[in-house]
Amino acid sequence: MAKIGVFICHCGENVAAKIDCTQLTAAIGEHPGVAVSVEYKYFCSDPGQESVKKAIREHGLTGVVVAACSPRMHEATFRNACAEAGLNPYLCEIANIREHCSWVHTDKDMATIKALEITRSLVEKVKRNNELRPIEVPVTRRALVIGGGIAGIQAALDIANAGHEVVLVEREASLGGHMAQLSETFPTLDCSQCIMTPRMVEAARHPKIRLLTYAEIERVEGYIGNFKVKVRMKSRSVDMKKCTGCGDCMLKCPVKKISSEFDCGLGKRAAIYTPFAQSVPNIPVIDKKRCTYFKNGKCQICSKSCPINAIDFTIEDEFLDIEIGAIVVATGFQIQNTAMYGEYGYGKYADVITGLQFERLASASGPTSGKILRPSDNSEPQTVVFIQCAGSRDPSKGVRYCSKICCMYTAKHAMLYAHKVHGGKTHIFYMDIRAGGKGYDEFTRRAIEEDEASYVRGRVSKVWQENGRLMVRGVDTLLGRPVEVAADMVVLATAIIAQPDAKEFAKTVGIGYDEYGFYNEAHLKLRPVESSTAGIYLAGCCQSPKDIPDSVAQASATASKVLALFSKEQLEREPVVASNNEATCAGCWGCVLACPYGAIEQKDILDRSGRLIKRVASVNPGLCQGCGTCVTFCRSNSIDLAGFTERQIFAEVMGL
Amino acid sequence: MSIVEQYRTKVKELLSSGQVKMVIGYGAGTTPDRRRPLFMRSPEDADKMLLDNACIANLSGYLVSEGLLSDEKRVAIMLRPEGVRSINILAAESQLKAEQIVIVGFDTAGEELRAIEGSEAKDFCALIDSLKESAPLQAPDPLFERIVQMSPQERFNYWQEEFSKCIKCYACRQSCPMCYCRRCIVDSNQPQWINTSSHTLGNFEWNIVRAFHLAGRCVACGNCDRSCPVNIPLRFINRRMGMEVLEVFDHFPGMSESQEPVLASFKKDDPETFIL
Ligand SMILES: Cc1cc2nc3c(=O)[nH]c(=O)nc-3n(C[C@H](O)[C@H](O)[C@H](O)COP(=O)(O)OP(=O)(O)OC[C@H]3O[C@@H](n4cnc5c(N)ncnc54)[C@H](O)[C@@H]3O)c2cc1C
Ligand code: SF4
Ligand code: SF4
Repeated sequence: MAKIGVFICHCGENVAAKIDCTQLTAAIGEHPGVAVSVEYKYFCSDPGQESVKKAIREHGLTGVVVAACSPRMHEATFRNACAEAGLNPYLCEIANIREHCSWVHTDKDMATIKALEITRSLVEKVKRNNELRPIEVPVTRRALVIGGGIAGIQAALDIANAGHEVVLVEREASLGGHMAQLSETFPTLDCSQCIMTPRMVEAARHPKIRLLTYAEIERVEGYIGNFKVKVRMKSRSVDMKKCTGCGDCMLKCPVKKISSEFDCGLGKRAAIYTPFAQSVPNIPVIDKKRCTYFKNGKCQICSKSCPINAIDFTIEDEFLDIEIGAIVVATGFQIQNTAMYGEYGYGKYADVITGLQFERLASASGPTSGKILRPSDNSEPQTVVFIQCAGSRDPSKGVRYCSKICCMYTAKHAMLYAHKVHGGKTHIFYMDIRAGGKGYDEFTRRAIEEDEASYVRGRVSKVWQENGRLMVRGVDTLLGRPVEVAADMVVLATAIIAQPDAKEFAKTVGIGYDEYGFYNEAHLKLRPVESSTAGIYLAGCCQSPKDIPDSVAQASATASKVLALFSKEQLEREPVVASNNEATCAGCWGCVLACPYGAIEQKDILDRSGRLIKRVASVNPGLCQGCGTCVTFCRSNSIDLAGFTERQIFAEVMGL
Repeated sequence: MSIVEQYRTKVKELLSSGQVKMVIGYGAGTTPDRRRPLFMRSPEDADKMLLDNACIANLSGYLVSEGLLSDEKRVAIMLRPEGVRSINILAAESQLKAEQIVIVGFDTAGEELRAIEGSEAKDFCALIDSLKESAPLQAPDPLFERIVQMSPQERFNYWQEEFSKCIKCYACRQSCPMCYCRRCIVDSNQPQWINTSSHTLGNFEWNIVRAFHLAGRCVACGNCDRSCPVNIPLRFINRRMGMEVLEVFDHFPGMSESQEPVLASFKKDDPETFIL
């Protein structure tokens, strides 16, 4: 015999103002199977929860319905209370009479009738609920961090320092990401390389970190605590064990005029190269598309110049299969190509450059050794125009969103320029100055007040060349008049965009992304570093444009999530998972395709002699997220979802 | 040689050479204008075989009879182009392996019965492509036009009237090659989503569920429509669903054995116009 307890919460006035709770309590008390029904002002409060527990013990309840707010608010609260009173938590259900009823109705009589129906339908469901126990899955205590920018490095170090193994995978030849390219960093103007390089070295030397550079993720299978990852080690054509990083090969290589990716095209590199002088690891790779030997089978000069014979053209890509418990995705960003603004002349005039190129010019280790020189003639520009939002906040040509960091780095650029070129003039065209952050507004004020950056509020309509100078025409919207400036260099604050392969990569890893290709967090406010897939976390700019402090904070946050996961021997999972009735399954595999988590496999049913009798679908409870897609798809109604079985839902519907 | 003789010769050859263990074709029915399935196991059986414009039933559903294909031996079957499409769907839904089925194709479109070339489902791709192009779902039909023109209320009344005739004999299900589940949803009574008694609600539930289960899978062979003893125009329901998936997902069922079932597969860029 069912003995259901119904607890009707006033939620202060939230429910009680629109629902006659006393009437509801009396009416539901009459319903078959209801042993006790009580009302109270706040059941979520301590005394409220105590009264639920007491009722469970006193009446020997077999099920509980709390008629209150959305289950998203307090389902966990009341299920815990039930568990403490010895009732299986899955025998507790929430009837949502607040969001679904009192908040959306004005007629008290009608709302009371509706609340009764909602509560009754849950009582009917609870009568058919089963006890469920959490699923225990083992945890591999090894983390994978994808992307070796500042975010990836920070996450790897935090996890490794807590004593767990980390595999750090970077697809370029060196760690560092964008931060390695920067000159000085806002808001403190400390040298980026100086704070970054020690971090890179620390990560590479850490006994708990296995660093895989020039490596890519081929495949990710499995689920939280139990991922199986295949990594492709792209062949460097250099034996990493032998190479000492002397660099002789790079000097001897005859193909020297390749534009350097690291220097954003402002410098050159050879066909065998390290991205930059402080690369970690300091071991070169051969660019096979440019190498004369790989192109036409002749040369091998580098190999002859290597004092220890570390160069081996026959090395092939290698594959590693690694078992992983948690994944941090920190794959960073790209800057948008500004070619869509034909009127700004990027790509046409050598002295129209991007902010990232300016970083390389200002960097002491850059192609000009930190002198600000025009790319066209290596002269020192006397006037520089900066154009903010060159792509951001422009739904028609660029991207709709704000890239968040450009206001800050443009102010930084103006300061760096003022410090390096005395008497130089800067003009900054901007839409708004967005400088929220610790010390940020002070920083932009400093640029204006101490370093005499002249801010012009308005857009630039055209840049053209005249008498060897760049003419910039725009509008000053505050004064309401057009302006024209003759400049020697124009710097575009380009938009931060997702990596070009971000969407493809998301599919490889199995996470969601937004319309721009930035990875989706599970909840923008409450779970900002978790992806929608359990066990996969997001750090840095792959989630949204952000600066270094935010990237680092987010990275440490992912580390804390990973460490929490690794703190247990076994992982407990909600038992709300699907299972298949093999007897009725028609083996159409529709569910296999439909499952967004790849949780359903094909299973052969064999007789004793090993002959195939039939093929059916089989749900892996470790992978299943309980979304129910398969249930709705299955034509023969073979799949059922624990906690939401067909019988339970049917009873719930019929109870209305 | 008449066309029937040509086909008999072909069937005998298939059976006597041992290429197939059975040929499924057509034999005489209860009245002169009806045909029945004929299961030919030996060359002599072919003498009872008939082939003419009355051979309209889509026989592919017999292939998934329990145990028929489990010995991996090949089976031949006489099919019109829609039947070939059914084979592709059955293969795509893992009910059979297309290589195991030898297709003896023919077409009765137009007045003349014609042979069509090919022996495995994949040989008919070009034919099926052209079928999609010829837009069979757009073929004019006065009653269909009338139903489309109706107001929602009129249309609801029309179907209510039609469904009120349904006696829940499930002949539509039995004749449909796509209804191969070992246990149909209507046979499941824990819980009983679909009322078994033949009153309006249960009748609606059954026919609507059937329509959804066939969306993107029906090849318009007409088996259900012909088998309905009370003449409910079931073909129109399937046709309407077919138009829907074609329009929204550009899906024409049965194009190939690797075509993903439209309602089981999803793409990130699928239109979601149905979400309000
Ligand atoms: C011009 C400019 C100036 C800036 N100035 C400042 C400043 O002064 N102060 C400040 O706080 N911030 C500044 N920033 C922002 C700063 O660069 C970023 O916040 C920071 O670099 C983000 O780090 P990240 O690790 O998320 O991404 P990234 O630095 O982009 O690193 C991502 C790494 O992941 C690797 N990767 C990508 N995909 C894969 C894959 N599939 N597999 C393996 N590896 C992969 C990449 O190769 C890269 O190494 C500036 C940015 C720009 C563009
Ligand atoms: S959808 Fe249903 S019938 Fe088809 S394979 Fe999956 S469980 Fe079996
Ligand atoms: S409930 Fe969702 S996640 Fe679980 S097996 Fe079904 S489709 Fe996959």
